[in-house]
Amino acid sequence: MAEREVQLEQISAADFFYRNKALAGFDNPVRATYTIVRELVENALDACELARRPPRITVFMTRSEERVDGRGTIYRLTVSDNGIGLDPSDVPAAFGKVFVSSKYRLMQSRGTFGLGGTMALLYGQITTNMPFKVTTARDGGPVEEFEMKIDIKRNEPIVLKRRRLADACDESFTRVEMHFEGSYGKARRKIVEYLRQTAIVTPYADMLFVDPDGVPYLFVRSTDVIPPLPREAKFHPKGVDLEILMRLISTTKTRTLVTFLTTHFQRVGSKTAREVVRLAGLDPIKRPRNLTDEEIRALFRALRSYPRFLPPDASILSPLSPELLEEGIKKELRPEFVKAVQRPPSVFEAHPFIVETALAYGGELRPTGEIQLYRFANRIPLLYDVSSDVSYAVARRIDWGNYGLRSLEEEPVALFVHIVSTKIPFKTVGKEFIANKPEIAREIELGLRICARELKSFLHRKRRAEMARARYEAFARYYELISEVVEDLTGERPPVEKILSKVRPPAGVKKNGS
Amino acid sequence: MAHEEAVEVKKRIREIALKIKRDMEMGRFPKIRYPPNTSGNIEFSEEEGYVFSPRVYSEIRGSRLKSLKTLAGILYGMDKALDHLENGLTMTKRDFYYIHKIERLKGTLFPKDQRETDSRIVLMELVLGLPREAISITSDPRGWIYGDIELTDRSGRTIRADQVGEMGYSVPPRPENIKFGRIGVKAVVAVEKVGPAKNMIELGIPEEHGIAVAILKGQASRSMRRFLRMLSDKGVPVAILTDLSPWSIRIAATVVYNSISSAHIPGLAAPEARFIGITTGDVETGFFSDYRFALEPLTQMDLKAAQDNMRLPNLQHPFWQEENRWFLEKKKKAELEIFKAMSPSARELKGLFVEYLRQKLDENLGIAI
Repeated sequence: MAEREVQLEQISAADFFYRNKALAGFDNPVRATYTIVRELVENALDACELARRPPRITVFMTRSEERVDGRGTIYRLTVSDNGIGLDPSDVPAAFGKVFVSSKYRLMQSRGTFGLGGTMALLYGQITTNMPFKVTTARDGGPVEEFEMKIDIKRNEPIVLKRRRLADACDESFTRVEMHFEGSYGKARRKIVEYLRQTAIVTPYADMLFVDPDGVPYLFVRSTDVIPPLPREAKFHPKGVDLEILMRLISTTKTRTLVTFLTTHFQRVGSKTAREVVRLAGLDPIKRPRNLTDEEIRALFRALRSYPRFLPPDASILSPLSPELLEEGIKKELRPEFVKAVQRPPSVFEAHPFIVETALAYGGELRPTGEIQLYRFANRIPLLYDVSSDVSYAVARRIDWGNYGLRSLEEEPVALFVHIVSTKIPFKTVGKEFIANKPEIAREIELGLRICARELKSFLHRKRRAEMARARYEAFARYYELISEVVEDLTGERPPVEKILSKVRPPAGVKKNGS
Repeated sequence: MAHEEAVEVKKRIREIALKIKRDMEMGRFPKIRYPPNTSGNIEFSEEEGYVFSPRVYSEIRGSRLKSLKTLAGILYGMDKALDHLENGLTMTKRDFYYIHKIERLKGTLFPKDQRETDSRIVLMELVLGLPREAISITSDPRGWIYGDIELTDRSGRTIRADQVGEMGYSVPPRPENIKFGRIGVKAVVAVEKVGPAKNMIELGIPEEHGIAVAILKGQASRSMRRFLRMLSDKGVPVAILTDLSPWSIRIAATVVYNSISSAHIPGLAAPEARFIGITTGDVETGFFSDYRFALEPLTQMDLKAAQDNMRLPNLQHPFWQEENRWFLEKKKKAELEIFKAMSPSARELKGLFVEYLRQKLDENLGIAI
């Protein structure tokens, strides 16, 4: 019965998406153009990180001659990566089928792993009725090219053509080529900004984007250091919802409730498991698959109310590291000052999370009249709805005057907040801004304050040096003038160097981090 | 004559410049020592008025930025003043302000407003120990004298002060060089206001009674005070005739004793000069006692000035204190125009003027007219 429900969901996924485009960020041609680029780039980055190689990603977008009913513009988009590639036999399923997200796993990931990319392909197919092309090779295997469509009703891949381009290839790669109807002109700013921010949070990636007007945007990596891959972990007992619990129960191979709990959850030993089962008023040796809906709800309530679980394991998270964050900020924004910190792991609603914050000041940064806040969640930039985000609220409530800044709007200062978690508490399905969870807000505030203290002493040093320099320059101007006047009065010009050597300014302010 | 003066001024300025040059060559911060015109350096006596007797000295130091600006400022100012002096040009304070409003001085001496350059003029006077007129910075001339006085001024012409127009001789900005010839007057009456003074001239009083009339037009200018002092030194009795008001007794006292702000300029006080009226006695029991209805009320500003007067060093003599207390008590003042209230007709006015002057000159200076 439960098995059957899961089955039904899978079959309707493509259809479901088709009917709910707006949910996934495809609600209008501009937004769709941006979302498609973004989804394919994120898949490409994921593929590279699995390969543990610095990503090398190219994105080419051109206007196609093809038109559908003379409506919008059709674009051809090609995204290539040097990631792990695919075994040719896996290609049809990987690209031609919409999966319900892999929710059995608990892992920090960029997005709903793989799903977004397929949605992009599906959108292209819906708007142009044109097939997409996937070319890939893995580990010295053959290079194969697939021309495919997705059967929306049946959620099945349709392979139109399959060609072997080479019998062996030295490198692994994947290249996806697709057509879609969109609007690049208005999406350009967002796409470029997305890539730039991605470059900040992925300083170890090379990315080249050539837009439909032939304008190249190149983001060059400045480091070879790649942060470790996030690890998979079991659910924390307080972090599951009823839906997940029912699915776990319907698929488990365990035979008793106690082993079910110790097998599928972290922080649960057999003693704890027995206590939870007793709290639920259930038989410890009951077969999980035989639980009634009523009993499942009782178990769920017990998991929620049991007070003695250890906090979830945060070691599975993979933040960027302050060094890499600073690196990314420096290379893309070229500030005079940058400071990043990583907060210790913390927990909200049984989900572990780590906050990384940074502040950048001066250099090529300019005041914009707005708060310059860069937000990242699990290493992807968030570009929309900044003013609804928890980080924005925190930025607004910090008394920046105490840190030597007049205001964030009028100073060349940028804030960065990166949150990694097994579950990012997005406030909407659009996944663009993060809910104001007090635990998260607290860590963001502490992180920003640490950076701000560093900035304060930097500014103090800088302003002192500037004052000393200004004073020296004033002395120089006055003694030049005096020297001139004395020459006029005596016929001889006294040198200014000797006297100025007595008012040398202190050495120039040390640039931080360089 | 003018040339000799310029040579002396140039010598002093060059000395300062040479000292600064030596300091700079040695890598020493230059400094200039000068006596500030603060109260500690100003003495007062009834006999001499305000006298500048430096005990305390200040330094303008090239080691502190603010002080360095002052140093550059007075050096630049003296250089430009000397340039004017050597070329026979004068300049006003406003001119001095404008010679700082040049591109070259942006970021250094370019002034925010004229107060900045004005205060530097005073500093230059203190540093050089010379009045600003000596370095060609003059005020617009103010003050005239009418009467049988023969003099030769900078223009080289010999002039009789009752034969140069209806206001008489306009006292030049720098009267030091004036050489007096024959002096045919028994006294000079320095009148605060232009109107009554002109009336006296128009009525022929100077000619008929052998006096000169000096027109101050408000507070006596430095040049007028210097000029009166010179006449006083020549033995000419000087009488001062002003309104009876808190401001006017300051005007009178400044002619007699000089003022604090120009105490460092010698030769401006005329201690032999006598204040002849209008006095409180004139109003209470004397000449104007029947015309008290013509008095004016004191304004708030007037009253405030009267209160301040009680503390002025040059108004400490019991006479001035008494006079001033009258303002505080009666809150009234009398103006010289009160003569008009007494005599709407021209014929009577002359009689009144003469009667008043005869009485007062006799009382205060023992002079009969």
